Amino acid sequence: MRVNSFIERSVVSAFSFFRESVLCENYASKRGLLQILSPPIKTLFVFFLLLAVFFSKSIIFILAVYSLCILLSYLSSIELRFFLKRTLVFVPIFYLVIALPSLFNVFTPGEPIIIFKIFNLTLNITHQGLFSFSILFLRVLTSVSLCVLLITTTFKYELLKVLPIFGVPHIFVLIVGMSYRYIYFFVEMFQNTYLAIKSRVGFIPSIKKGQFLVGANIANFWHRSYNLYNDVYNAMLARGYYREVKLPRSAKPHFVDWAFLVIGIFILGLSLWQG
Amino acid sequence: MARLIFELKGVYFSYHGKIPALCDINLNIEEGSKIVIMGANGTGKTTLLMLLDALIFPQKGYIRALDREFRENLLNDWEFVRFFRSKVGLLFQNPDVQLFSPTVKDELIFSLLNLGFTQKEIEKRLSKIVQLFRIKELLDRAPYQLSVGEKKKVAIASVLIMEPEVLLLDEPTAGLDPQTTRDIIDIILKENSLGKTIITATHHLEIIEELADKVYVLGKENKIVRSDYPKEVLYDEEFLLKYNLAHIHYHHHKDLVHTHLPLHND
Ligand SMILES: Nc1ncnc2c1ncn2[C@@H]1O[C@H](COP(=O)(O)OP(=O)(O)O)[C@@H](O)[C@H]1O
Ligand SMILES: [Mg+2]
Repeated sequence: MRVNSFIERSVVSAFSFFRESVLCENYASKRGLLQILSPPIKTLFVFFLLLAVFFSKSIIFILAVYSLCILLSYLSSIELRFFLKRTLVFVPIFYLVIALPSLFNVFTPGEPIIIFKIFNLTLNITHQGLFSFSILFLRVLTSVSLCVLLITTTFKYELLKVLPIFGVPHIFVLIVGMSYRYIYFFVEMFQNTYLAIKSRVGFIPSIKKGQFLVGANIANFWHRSYNLYNDVYNAMLARGYYREVKLPRSAKPHFVDWAFLVIGIFILGLSLWQG
Repeated sequence: MARLIFELKGVYFSYHGKIPALCDINLNIEEGSKIVIMGANGTGKTTLLMLLDALIFPQKGYIRALDREFRENLLNDWEFVRFFRSKVGLLFQNPDVQLFSPTVKDELIFSLLNLGFTQKEIEKRLSKIVQLFRIKELLDRAPYQLSVGEKKKVAIASVLIMEPEVLLLDEPTAGLDPQTTRDIIDIILKENSLGKTIITATHHLEIIEELADKVYVLGKENKIVRSDYPKEVLYDEEFLLKYNLAHIHYHHHKDLVHTHLPLHND
């Protein structure tokens, strides 16, 4: 059954994708350098370094920041293979969108190294093009690495709790946090429904029938989401929720936090000073 | 006679105004008693507990609780919310619904934070409940990553941390293994021995005798069809069968063995 196995494969892979992103929390609970930083400071640190990478025009400088990322990932007990795999998944997506056009002389005028001739259009790969291509590649690689470091060493909800510091209301944070948490629940529910149908019907006989079942399930899914929302709201009311949610405060910053803040500002300053 | 905690007269509730979920409910529940609400699926047990916890309100009849009459606008009254929510705790049937916080620790202290307890008091109660439930190693985990039994424990702990006088428990032992069931019943009984009122909704016959001084049975018409002592109900096989609370034993079918041909569909 083609359709059947297609649906099955997408359901199962979606499920394992979420499983994996949940499993990533494992790194957040490990002992390591970035894990002991307070989330707001860590976010600021990463933000300063992102700006530094963005403004710098020196390949050496960006390479240095990238090496710092590798060092930090080592000090935060993230396996190098996992770290590289995670960054390399995202790099091409960012990279292709942003960098590829600048490779060709259409965008970057200069001396040609290789010349492509497609129909009567001439495409030259230039020195200047290659330079901006590689600096952009490094920028993207380093930026993605910085974000991966932040995300893998911090619990998702801790990241969310950073938002109120920048003026985002608590209720928004709670809702986003819950959506994240309930995605997991929904995926499980969806998979169970799917398996339930499969075990009862045995197979899904035609594309049409398959589509119908998926459609009916989505309707069912919305209905259940609505009920779930209602129930969760009641569960909050039952435990004293009244108009405004109160979330626990994050821990106070330590010495290491201040140190990282200073290092972040220093690196940003260096990048700007270089020009 | 002990103080009345709940007093229900002619209570009626229906979800979308069509099919009634509860009809003409009359109940008096005394302080410190153990009550079990029995009934098959869909007979209105959950709805009744939601009514008792002032999450939904009767469309006919009235409910008095802790010397106050329920009215819908009570939910806008902070004094009432603080008073009532700290006195009455509800364990939801589905722990996935009840556990909405990012970590077990946040889950446990949610009510205390929202009811305005001081940081010091919160720390004190947290360490006490963690010790009682032996869940220290779960504190930093996400509730959805726990096993069913752990979820249930955390859900009960998050209710008990408020130290409520009345516990409303919606199928507290559904889906649990015998040992976890035992643990949870012991916790409930201990709370009762400390003077707390316990109201449990369940269709598990095994736990009723321990958890009930008195049993109320909801029937298919979503009405109370019987209120009695647990022993009387449990030994009334005919009654239990009629209201879908027990099943006939399988060994009567010994002579009816037949085989199915396996079906292949590829
Ligand atoms: N959110 C809801 N929307 C509509 N109908 C509901 C809802 N919750 C329960 N019902 C209906 O109300 C009746 C009683 O349900 P419930 O109180 O959940 O019973 P029980 O807990 O005994 O299984 C059932 O017929 C059920 O279908
Ligand atoms: Mg129920």
